[in-house]
Amino acid sequence: MDAITEDPKTEAPIAPATEAVDLAAEFAETGLSEVFEELDRDLVGLAPVKKRLREIAALLLVDRARARFGLEAASPTLHMSFTGNPGTGKTTVALRMAEILHRLGYVRKGHLVTVTRDDLVGQYIGHTAPKTKEILKRAMGGVLFIDEAYYLYRPENERDYGQEAIEILLQVMENQRDDLVVILAGYADRMERFFHANPGFRSRVAHHIDFPDYSEEELNAIGGRILGAMNYVMSPKAEEAFARYISLRKEQPHFANGRSIRNALDRARLRQANRLFTAGRPVTAQDLRTLEAEDILASRVFSGGIDSYPPIGGTHP
Amino acid sequence: MRITQGAFSFLPDLTDEQIAKQIQYCINNGWAVNIEFTDDPHPRNTYWELWGLPMFDVKDAAGVMFELNECRKAYAGRHYIRVSAFDATHTWESVRLSFIVNRPENEPGFALERQEVDGRNIRYTTRPYAANQPEGARY
Amino acid sequence: MSTIETAKPAEKKRDRYSAGVMEYRKMGYWQPDYEPKETDVIALFRVTPQDGVDPIEASAAVAGESSTATWTVVWTDRLTACDKYRAKCYRVDPVPNTPGSWFAYIAYDLDLFENGSIANLSASIIGNVFGFKPLKALRLEDMRLPVAYVKTFDGPATGIVVERERLDKFGRPLLGATVKPKLGLSGRNYGRVVYEALKGGLDFTKDDENINSQQFMHWRDRFLYCMEAVNKAQAATGEVKGTYLNITAGTMEDMYERAEFAKQLGSTIVMIDLVIGYTAIQSMAKWARRNDMILHLHRAGHSTYTRQKSHGVSFRVITKWMRLAGVDHIHAGTVVGKLEGDPYTTKGYYDLCREDFVPQNLAHGIFFDQPWASTRKLMPVASGGIHAGQMHQLIDLLGEDVVLQFGGGTIGHPMGIQAGAQANRVALEAMILARNEGRDILNEGPEILKAASRHCLPLRQALDTWKDVTFNYSSTDTPDFVPQVTAAE
Repeated sequence: MDAITEDPKTEAPIAPATEAVDLAAEFAETGLSEVFEELDRDLVGLAPVKKRLREIAALLLVDRARARFGLEAASPTLHMSFTGNPGTGKTTVALRMAEILHRLGYVRKGHLVTVTRDDLVGQYIGHTAPKTKEILKRAMGGVLFIDEAYYLYRPENERDYGQEAIEILLQVMENQRDDLVVILAGYADRMERFFHANPGFRSRVAHHIDFPDYSEEELNAIGGRILGAMNYVMSPKAEEAFARYISLRKEQPHFANGRSIRNALDRARLRQANRLFTAGRPVTAQDLRTLEAEDILASRVFSGGIDSYPPIGGTHP
Repeated sequence: MRITQGAFSFLPDLTDEQIAKQIQYCINNGWAVNIEFTDDPHPRNTYWELWGLPMFDVKDAAGVMFELNECRKAYAGRHYIRVSAFDATHTWESVRLSFIVNRPENEPGFALERQEVDGRNIRYTTRPYAANQPEGARY
Repeated sequence: MSTIETAKPAEKKRDRYSAGVMEYRKMGYWQPDYEPKETDVIALFRVTPQDGVDPIEASAAVAGESSTATWTVVWTDRLTACDKYRAKCYRVDPVPNTPGSWFAYIAYDLDLFENGSIANLSASIIGNVFGFKPLKALRLEDMRLPVAYVKTFDGPATGIVVERERLDKFGRPLLGATVKPKLGLSGRNYGRVVYEALKGGLDFTKDDENINSQQFMHWRDRFLYCMEAVNKAQAATGEVKGTYLNITAGTMEDMYERAEFAKQLGSTIVMIDLVIGYTAIQSMAKWARRNDMILHLHRAGHSTYTRQKSHGVSFRVITKWMRLAGVDHIHAGTVVGKLEGDPYTTKGYYDLCREDFVPQNLAHGIFFDQPWASTRKLMPVASGGIHAGQMHQLIDLLGEDVVLQFGGGTIGHPMGIQAGAQANRVALEAMILARNEGRDILNEGPEILKAASRHCLPLRQALDTWKDVTFNYSSTDTPDFVPQVTAAE
């Protein structure tokens, strides 16, 4: 009953077929260009991912325009899967994706709720449904990002409560598409097996985005940005050492792309601090901001060890 | 009759769109929204049954509407359902808004019993007709 | 103190206490360097001296006469820590745009006052001093009550939050009406009005200030018929209802007797008039606290001393005293109705009733930061010449923690009292609904009311009947400081 408040009906009248929509102007109006600029600024590389994002944004923009001419179909499915190795920027892109969807009016609030299996699946009977619902309620109006989504499904354990979470998820993904967007994320191969075992998810996910590993040049550029943000530089020799570090580390297990780079630089800063402290002479501003080759070369990676964090076995240099 | 507890009982029953707007208002104020139901409409029946816990971390009314619809599936038509909002701000720390969103199709109302006592005094008791039946079989 | 400096003060001291008359400012009641202590009670007076009287001397005299001084020097001062007990006027400012008047700031040591006694506080601050001949006029504008003093009072017996919990009414103003005609109805007829109004949709009805126990209606009859009406309306609506039973009487014994009877009948609320005096009010507040009773205060008589700006006591001071004294409801103005009330000044009263900390706000007439130290909130009541057509203005100005009392606006409805009550309740709920939805009720109010009236005939009739009624007279009690108006955008 709207007699009380007399809200103007929200459905806008259908535009006459002759009218034209300026998509570029619409794009500018939503402020999406800023989001994409920010994305370019914050994230090195990832060209295919950025391209997919622009395509999705364009699709949604066109959908909006079509709706204005009465050409809409049912509200679009927006659930997505992000596949790729750790540290390839999936969470960061999800954050931007939430903002893009918000600006285009496909989610009302635009916040991102990041969860893993433990947040959704309970430990005893009757625990899972309220847990999953609690997360879903919190995510409504925004985007729910389920990292390593395949852990929800554990076929080897017949009393696994993950199945219950999956059923609730599927139901809400189907019935409340206007209320939230779900992004399932994880390693590509495992996600593939997960979708295979749970066709319900595959059919409800409209967009698959693959996040490639970074090239060595990109990893180097990431390192440069991290240091720049913290007001550090590398000496030319250190730079050379770091390039070698990257090619060695990349081939080792537990490599996590951007995250491994950040960890390596954190350790290099520790070594630099220790070097300056034990040198026993006054230090200049230049000393304080410069990483030297020795700060990099002391890493176990150069002696065949693994430079992971937290350390895998053994003590740390 | 129509019981008039809650903030909007004199208006025609609220649509889901209107309910969602009120819920969003509560969320925007930082209040925790709660769903309660009962089949005892006595005005002093303070503690309606809780449908789950108050929702503290929900950002969008859709989250509450989701639970409200679950509650309706279980109780609509046979129970009263109300939405209430708690404000934890110091010196308030109580309910800020409360309104009925579902009511039984037929509301038989209340009997007023009078017991005459000394000095022209009367002791009054208000008894819902529905309460003649056991809980769960009232509407 | 070093020995070299003793000569001067000693000499001064001799002067100070030599017999005879001395200017107040020289007796220590003017101390421009004094910095008020956190525990000092501070009073702000508007001082209008007689022609030729120096404003500083006049202000010092006010400090003196409201604390330790008399017209002449007395040696017995020297038997006391008189420096401590002397009130100190520390600042005198000209009143903006008002030649001949000054604002005098006077600090009082906490030890000057008995714990938890408004009678004692007022006997000092507004005791003799208001008749002091060298002053043409004097007004107590505001007081800063330190936390240490606030904590010596219980505060409201019930308070807004618990009142709402007891009544199970949240998120909207409460609705009331004063039974009309004020005088002459028999108990049986009186109860009829109560029943109709409550069943129609009001939360409360109210006795008027001068309904006590007259020949046309003895108090017991009124209480019995009113409670029949309350209980019947409660059963008819499934909603908690109440009526303010006025227990004002000639003696405390009579008041206690009436209060006990109201309690015995199951009333949730009783009512007193301001004219019973501060001590009687505090006694009834303590009784209300012991007996889980909401205590409504009608501010009968206040306009004799609050209304004129030059002389008397500002209502904001009365509001503060009443929150300390422990009443739960106080009539605090409507702005748009028939009784005195400038919007900014009224906003100041409402803040003092409802906030836990009220910051200085000169444009609202609030001269000091006032901490309330979690003292319960006092429910303001807006009453006098208001009707459903003003609902958007009332909610915009007064907020939702208020009792809106539509007496004539309920009982005067052309289709009867129930219709009047229903019109008010529908208007109220529709406006709150719209406000919560984010609509601009002040500007869209008339449309919202019109839309609501489409499903409520009584509201349509009420809007037609009173559409042109307004009381646009200029207020006498307005703030002296105007908010700085800056060019818009």
